[in-house]
Amino acid sequence: MTHEIQQENVFRINDLVKTYQMGEVSVSALRGISLDIHPGEFLVILGHSGSGKSTLLNIIGGLDTPTTGTVQYEDHNLGEFTETELTHYRRKHIGFIFQFYNLMPNLTAKENVEMATEISDDPMPALDALELVGLASRAGHFPSQLSGGEQQRVAIARAIAKRPRVLFCDEPTGALDIATGKIVLEVLQDVNKKMGTTLLVITHNAAIAEIADRVIHMRDGHVSEIEVNDEPKTLDDVVW
Amino acid sequence: MRTLDKKMLRTMWRHRSQIFAAIAVVTCGTACFICLASLHENLKLTRDTYYAQNRFADFEIRLERAPTSTLYELQEIPGVRQVRGRIVEDVKLDIEGVTDARMGRVISVPETGGGFLNGLVIRSGNFFDPGAQNEVILSEQFAQANELGVGEHIKATIDGKKHTLKIIGLGLSPEYVYTIRNVQELVPSPDRFGILWVPRDFAESALTLEAACNSIIGSVESEDQLDTILNAAEPLLDTYGIFAKTKKYDQLSNRILSDEIRNLGVVSRVIPTVFLGISALVILILLNRMVRNERTQIGLMKAYGYSSFAIAMHYFQFALVISLTGCILGFFVGQYLAGQMIEMYVKFFSFPILQSRIYPNILAQAMGISIAFSMIGAMSAAYRAARIHPAESMRPEAPVVGHRTLLERVQPVWQRLSFTWKMIVRNVTRHKFRSTINIFGVMVSTALLIIGFFSIDGIDYLMEFEYEKMQRQDVRVSFYLERGKDALYDAKRFDYVDHAEPMLQYPFTLTNDWRTKDVLLVGLPRHARLQRLMDTEERVVDIGENGLVLTQKLADMLSLRVGDTVKVKPMMGRVTDEKTVRVSKIIQQYFGASGYMNIEALSRVMNESFAMNSVLLKTEPGKEHRLNDELEDIPAVSSIEVKEDSIRNMSETIEMNMKVTSFVSVLFAGVIAFSIIYNITSVSLAERERELASLRVMGFSRDEVGRILYHENMLMGVVGLALGIPAGMIVCRLLVKAFDTEMIRMPYHLESRTFIISIVLTISFVLISNWAIRRKIHQLDLVETLKERE
Ligand SMILES: Nc1ncnc2c1ncn2[C@@H]1O[C@H](COP(=O)(O)OP(=O)(O)O)[C@@H](O)[C@H]1O
Ligand SMILES: [Mg+2]
Repeated sequence: MTHEIQQENVFRINDLVKTYQMGEVSVSALRGISLDIHPGEFLVILGHSGSGKSTLLNIIGGLDTPTTGTVQYEDHNLGEFTETELTHYRRKHIGFIFQFYNLMPNLTAKENVEMATEISDDPMPALDALELVGLASRAGHFPSQLSGGEQQRVAIARAIAKRPRVLFCDEPTGALDIATGKIVLEVLQDVNKKMGTTLLVITHNAAIAEIADRVIHMRDGHVSEIEVNDEPKTLDDVVW
Repeated sequence: MRTLDKKMLRTMWRHRSQIFAAIAVVTCGTACFICLASLHENLKLTRDTYYAQNRFADFEIRLERAPTSTLYELQEIPGVRQVRGRIVEDVKLDIEGVTDARMGRVISVPETGGGFLNGLVIRSGNFFDPGAQNEVILSEQFAQANELGVGEHIKATIDGKKHTLKIIGLGLSPEYVYTIRNVQELVPSPDRFGILWVPRDFAESALTLEAACNSIIGSVESEDQLDTILNAAEPLLDTYGIFAKTKKYDQLSNRILSDEIRNLGVVSRVIPTVFLGISALVILILLNRMVRNERTQIGLMKAYGYSSFAIAMHYFQFALVISLTGCILGFFVGQYLAGQMIEMYVKFFSFPILQSRIYPNILAQAMGISIAFSMIGAMSAAYRAARIHPAESMRPEAPVVGHRTLLERVQPVWQRLSFTWKMIVRNVTRHKFRSTINIFGVMVSTALLIIGFFSIDGIDYLMEFEYEKMQRQDVRVSFYLERGKDALYDAKRFDYVDHAEPMLQYPFTLTNDWRTKDVLLVGLPRHARLQRLMDTEERVVDIGENGLVLTQKLADMLSLRVGDTVKVKPMMGRVTDEKTVRVSKIIQQYFGASGYMNIEALSRVMNESFAMNSVLLKTEPGKEHRLNDELEDIPAVSSIEVKEDSIRNMSETIEMNMKVTSFVSVLFAGVIAFSIIYNITSVSLAERERELASLRVMGFSRDEVGRILYHENMLMGVVGLALGIPAGMIVCRLLVKAFDTEMIRMPYHLESRTFIISIVLTISFVLISNWAIRRKIHQLDLVETLKERE
């Protein structure tokens, strides 16, 4: 998949700085990050633990606020969003996947997905979303009755059922073994291709980088390198 | 400071609002206990010293007229310690500038003073000088209510003659701690009924009872002998027309005071137990959650060498801190409340000294009980903490297992539920213990409200029943002596009188085999419109032509059933022969043991064709007081009672009582509901932080997320409410049974208003708890919550 000249970026990130004040000590998680994210691209953020990946993702996803700098989403400045607008943003435009699946233990797989569809305008039917992640047959199971990989796939189904423009994934395979992780990545790639969802995936597994359109390398709160894959590999070609 | 103590303080600070809620319940419990138990102790001691110091009599015999010489004979009865003959008479009073009726009771006292039975406490002014005439010592409350002071004068109509009496002192007597004229009055009216102590000589001449008395009071060596002594006294006095023998136990003022003290004793045990029981539950929930939170920490501490015992003690210490703090606060609140209660008691009961005191033994008890309850609450947490195995604790807790509920079997319903409701239903059914306690807390709270309002409704209803449904006259005029029909015709001829009906009240001795009882029988015309005979079902009872209508209580005492016959003999007067009367009806009534008969039939029992001693009058609207003024100076009239005034006076006193009762029950119910709901929801919120944070990440707003908890609480609140209403009603029924005395039975009556207010308040308590939880939901830190994995 090649990239034509982009008319517009989904995100324009400008000189983001995030400093945590912990009593006397201040920790700089982000030290000035600027980045554009294009519609429909598969972006991987690679970096060591503590390099600021999650912080970056949380700020773009509207869960956290930067110390200085701006995040522009389409025509809007995230920093100017009110609480209601932020909720709306998370509700209608983006989806999150975490290392831990954070499913509602009290709801079945299908109900977990329905929970998301109940609050969106044009959702995918819950069963279709489960179908997409290959779990239609487990719709009636509770999270505790599913394996880790299956739970993560339910979480993906839950996130994509809202048809978000952007999907943020913070180490989605971090808690999974290689084979299961692969299935999950396959699903994510599928979503990116079939639905055109912009995909941001944090990982510290360099192998995953090969299937992305672009790879952002982070170190110490800086972007150390941006790598563009003109020919992203398919999952089957990746050597683990 | 030891590390564990530091940890405890930090943990407490983190859970401060929950701990505060737990402390609030302990505070309520100990405050209640300290307040009620001290009050109980205080009243009991005050009563006992008062009675002892002023020689409260053990018995009183009322008779028509007995020569003072008989007193020597009575004194000889074995077991009798002291006797005193005196003159007691109800009189009409006249106070400058006061138009409506004032009643007094004249009681003679020896002008020699000394330690006589039913002695006086002089509050201001002096006791009589020897040879004093036309002087009076007035009951203090009556004087204050009518703004009368020492040196002023009061006019009393005694035996038809007006006397002007100089007030030389204000006093109190153990006989009139609770000053009411008769049982029906319910509450004292200090402005309308007072006691006038007069010198013996004056009373003798004013009532032409020279060297005689109409009341004999006495004290005995031991109360156990009272019956024997009274039986021995009877033949000595038979010819003097005994019409009432009252043991100390039955003496009106003492009986009401002692019942009050007894009830306080019961209440001082029950209410604090409820509170402290609830506090144990709150502590249980709170600490169990803490132990689960700190599993890993506990495991680590054990790995470092802390013993299981030390760890268990650590959790007991939490409970100790909560209960001790609660005790200290409870002490201040309790003492304050006791002070307030005493102020209220002083309005009803006249004691020489009644002041708030601190009882160290009660404080010690309060502390002991509340610590004990909190320890019970901490037991399970301490046990769990002690059992945690260091290695095991490092492993993550078993994940929450989803489950299906019964409701899901009903697919059409289940399908319609939003996911919020699905979560709620599953969560409520999953945490059965917690949900049960939550529901229980709301139930207790609602029941408390219902019980609190019930006491108001009961008295309200009793007033309405007695003064609107039964008594429909505007004015009641009583005569000194029995009169013929002419008195009725006279009454009808007065200005402003629309309608008049006669009434006869007379003391009789009723005998059935060996059972005998002295009671006041009431004679009424058949189909009376002004004093209707009604039962507790509000049915008007036809009094019939002949035959006796008895209240259930009297029938039980005499073991009588409808159709049985009973021997009836007037207790005073010339008539000495017994008549046999058939019991025609037995009815339920609220007030005491009494009997009714057609006035003509009752007159025949007294060998008269027609006798009456009071007349009930219906006046033209608003003319009651005019009529009162006109009747006042008629010598034959012993008292005039304008119903409107009696009602007004009672309503005022009762209203004040109501305000206090409703305030206290709403406060208590609120604290219970809030602390339980708030604590359980906090625990539930802490457990589900991740779940709820991820909902927020998915785009649910704070309120949408909060609603899961709010609705859950509301659901349990409604269930608790639905259980609390019948529970409250059952307790009310039990209370009616428990407080059913020979004198009075409370009606079981609840206004629909009570239910509405209870429902509204209970729901408000849930809403307030939700509102408090809302803050926690708003503070939920999404990034932090999702980052950490315990
Ligand atoms: N709430 C916080 N308070 C203080 N420091 C934080 C906080 N969150 C993250 N950090 C610090 O910011 C840096 C970046 O963290 P993070 O974005 O989580 O890294 P990554 O996801 O790349 O492992 C780390 O040094 C971390 O310790
Ligand atoms: Mg991270």
